[in-house]
Amino acid sequence: MRAAPGASFWAGLAVVAAVLWASVSSDMAPGRLLSSGGRIADFLDRMLPPDLSVMPEIWKGTAETLRIAILGTAGAVIASIPLGLMASDTLAPGWLSRPVRFILALIRAIPLILVAMLMVGAVGLGPLPGVIAVAFHATGMLAKFYAEAIDGVARPPVEALESAGAGTLLRLRYAIWPQMAPVVARDTIFRFELNLRESLILGIVGAGGIGFYIQTYVRSFQYDKAATVTIAVAVMVVAIEGLNAFLRRRLS
Amino acid sequence: MTVALRLSEITHRHGAGDRASLDGVSLEVAPGETVALLGSSGAGKTTLLALIDGRLHGWRGTANVLGRALLPDRIQPGSERAEVGFIFQEFALVDRATVRQNVLNGRLGRTNTLRAFFGQFSAADMVAAERAMADTGIADLASRRADSLSGGQRQRVAIARCLAQEPRLILADEPVSNLDPTRASDILGLITGAAQARGATVLFSSHQPDLARRFASRILGMRNGCIKFDSPADRLDANMIEDLYREELADPRTALRLVV
Repeated sequence: MRAAPGASFWAGLAVVAAVLWASVSSDMAPGRLLSSGGRIADFLDRMLPPDLSVMPEIWKGTAETLRIAILGTAGAVIASIPLGLMASDTLAPGWLSRPVRFILALIRAIPLILVAMLMVGAVGLGPLPGVIAVAFHATGMLAKFYAEAIDGVARPPVEALESAGAGTLLRLRYAIWPQMAPVVARDTIFRFELNLRESLILGIVGAGGIGFYIQTYVRSFQYDKAATVTIAVAVMVVAIEGLNAFLRRRLS
Repeated sequence: MTVALRLSEITHRHGAGDRASLDGVSLEVAPGETVALLGSSGAGKTTLLALIDGRLHGWRGTANVLGRALLPDRIQPGSERAEVGFIFQEFALVDRATVRQNVLNGRLGRTNTLRAFFGQFSAADMVAAERAMADTGIADLASRRADSLSGGQRQRVAIARCLAQEPRLILADEPVSNLDPTRASDILGLITGAAQARGATVLFSSHQPDLARRFASRILGMRNGCIKFDSPADRLDANMIEDLYREELADPRTALRLVV
């Protein structure tokens, strides 16, 4: 006798149904992709060779993106220290930590690009709205990570300092901080990497950085210049990842 | 001060409906005494020590430690807590901090909070820490990180942290439970010797009757949250021990640990 269909059968069916629904309803005729082969070839042809004359703009845009990521991360760290303390289950009472955690979840739910668009509307074009957007968006994650780092420390040393008569401030300084510092450093570097990646596209909505040039060149059909910017972005992302991996090894 | 410690009718449960972890414990300890608490796991030794250290909540009865009433719902100020030193069973060191910092952590209840926050310890703090490290034989490890030490060295750091506190009452929770006999008597000798040199009262828990007899002047037997006997060390006899470890002795595997 055959067994009744199990959970994995239904899960598989659900995945197939989801893919079918998505492809049928989004006008995904494969023929369209094949027939546009000529246009794609033409598009690639216009990208090659990449126009290296835009290197000065790339340096300028990269530097601005870097500045946005650095200042945005710094802002997020400053905001996340008090918020992280307030969101901690072990340091803050439940009536405080639960609402703070909820607000942080809300902040995380708003995409960076949306925050940036709102900030451009509020403070005008340029890197400032980018910095504010990155700081705001990153705080949602970083404060949660900091709170988890506080809650993740071993309790016995904290209890030992309490037994010796150390107050909350000194327990935080000498029992909790030494234990959470490597976690905080790792999380902050990780968030900086994300900030840099995410701020690459902020220029598309006018919030500063290298994204502005991608936007400008694509809109004006200067694909060879856009190609150079794309390569520069890719190189930068790989470099950041390498740097991050190096720093993480040093911290472990 | 006539007594270091006076407990009267102390009762405590870990959770509502649980068996009492302390069941009507009354006890007086004179200043300078060295007292051993014997009893099997779950007898209430750790709970009793935590109570005296002021870390236990929700107990009933009256407790007076070093001349001050201990209240179940009031947190004592740092300077009062510093009078009672605690040597934790698992040492409870800050792993990423140096040995010196771990020992200085014992001073946190005695020193100025704001100065200590910025890493400024007073001359008295430094002297107490250096003396504690010298007495425990770890002076040459001062700059090493705690997580780079062996188990024996870590235990000495834990003892040094307690001594740096300059406590008048030293509590030690199973300080030698995981050590071989030679190391065990070294460590108990170190704790009781340093305490005597400082005129401090000692209360340590153990489940090794022979060590208790060697290093304590007085022995308390605990079972099921009650004090079953209270005897001068030289009057401890086999019947008392047998009574205390009745269940363990019935099981040959645990009985062996008591013999050796």
